Amino acid sequence: MNSISNLEYVDKIILSITKDIKKESIGEYQVGYEVNQADVHQLLSSLKLEGWKQLSYLSAIDWPEENKFEVVYVLFNWDKPIYVQIRAKINRDNPSMNSIISIFPGAKYYERETHEFFGIAFPGNPEYKKQLILEQWDDIPPLRKDFDPSAYSAKKFPSREYPDDFSVKDKDNQVLEKNAKRKKRVKKLRTGGKK
Amino acid sequence: MLSTKYTVREKLSKKEIDRKWWEVGDYFRRNSLWLLMYCTGCCAIELPPSMTSAYDMERLGMGPMATPRQADILLVSGYLSLKTLRRLIYTYEQMSEPRYVIALGSCPINGGIYHDSHAVINQLEQYIPVDTYVAGCMPNPESVLNGFVDLMEGIKNKKANGWKKYHKNNDWYKENQLHALGEVVIHDEFHQ
Repeated sequence: MNSISNLEYVDKIILSITKDIKKESIGEYQVGYEVNQADVHQLLSSLKLEGWKQLSYLSAIDWPEENKFEVVYVLFNWDKPIYVQIRAKINRDNPSMNSIISIFPGAKYYERETHEFFGIAFPGNPEYKKQLILEQWDDIPPLRKDFDPSAYSAKKFPSREYPDDFSVKDKDNQVLEKNAKRKKRVKKLRTGGKK
Repeated sequence: MLSTKYTVREKLSKKEIDRKWWEVGDYFRRNSLWLLMYCTGCCAIELPPSMTSAYDMERLGMGPMATPRQADILLVSGYLSLKTLRRLIYTYEQMSEPRYVIALGSCPINGGIYHDSHAVINQLEQYIPVDTYVAGCMPNPESVLNGFVDLMEGIKNKKANGWKKYHKNNDWYKENQLHALGEVVIHDEFHQ
C-alpha cells in the first residue's frame, strides 16, 4: 500500500516546486508552509491536481511590527485527510496579491471579504472591491491591528448612561471576607453553638 | 344612590368615543398577539422552549407569524450588527400599526458583551422604540414569558406606545439611524 505517509506526500509535492519554504508542523492532520509570494499560484494549482481540491479558507494576518500582511490559503483533500496551509507574506503598504479565482473560482467571495477586512487588493478578481459584509464602511479596514474598535464604537454608537452606579468598587475584596464571616455565624446559629 | 329611572346621558365627544374603542381594541389585541421573530442573535435559542410545550406561549394567546405586515410584535433576539439593523428598520417600517417591539438580552440594552465592537450597535432604542426589554444573557424562558406578560400589561395600561413615539420623534430616530448607518437604504446583490 502507501509507502509514505500523507504528510510526506505533501512535502514531496511542495519540494518539487520550490525549496524556498519554511515548514510548520501543526498536528497530525495539518501542516503549514510559508512560501514566497511568487510561488503561491503554482503551489495551489499543483496541490489541486493532487487532490487538494477544496479551498477551505482564505484570509490574512496582520503583522504590523514587520510591516507585512500574511495571506493564508487553507486547502483540504477528501481522500488524504490533511489540511494544508499555504502562507505568503506581502508588503503592508499598498498590499496586493494576484487573485486565485482561475484556480479556485469560489475564492471570489473570500477575496472580497479579505479586501474588506484588511484592504488587500486582488487584481485578477473583477469585483474584489464590491462590498460583501460591511456595508458603507467609513474607516480603515477593521481587522487591521491599528484599528481601534472601542474608539470606533464610542464614536458611532452612544453608550447608555446610568444615573446610579451599581458596580462593585471594593478593591480589597472584603465582600468575600464578609460572606465567610456571615456563613460562619449562620453555621454557629444553626448548630446552637455546638460543634 | 343612582336612580333606576332612565336618564339621558351626556353625549360623548369624539375623543372619548375613540378612547373607548381603543380600549376595546386593545383588550382583544393583547389577547391575540402575533410575533415576528427576528432571530439573528443568540437569545433566539430561548424561543423554542418558550413556544413549545415546555412553556407554551400559546396559552397567552401568542403565536409566531412569518410576515411583518400581519405581525403585532417585532421580537429582536439579541445583538444587532449594522447590517441587521438596516434590515430591522425596513421590517419595522413595514409592520402595520399598532406595533410593539420586544428586545431580548442585554445587547440591545447597553451593548452587552459587544459593547466595544465596531459592528454591533449599543442601544436599540436609539434607532427604533422598544416597549419591553428582557434583560439577561441569555434570559431564561420564564423571563421571556414574563416579558410577554409585561407587554400585555403595558398595552392594557397604555404604556406600550412606542409606535406613537416613533411618529412623534421621527426626526430624532432618523437622525440617529443616519449617524450609525450612514444610509438606511440597502445596497447589495439582492436589492439591486
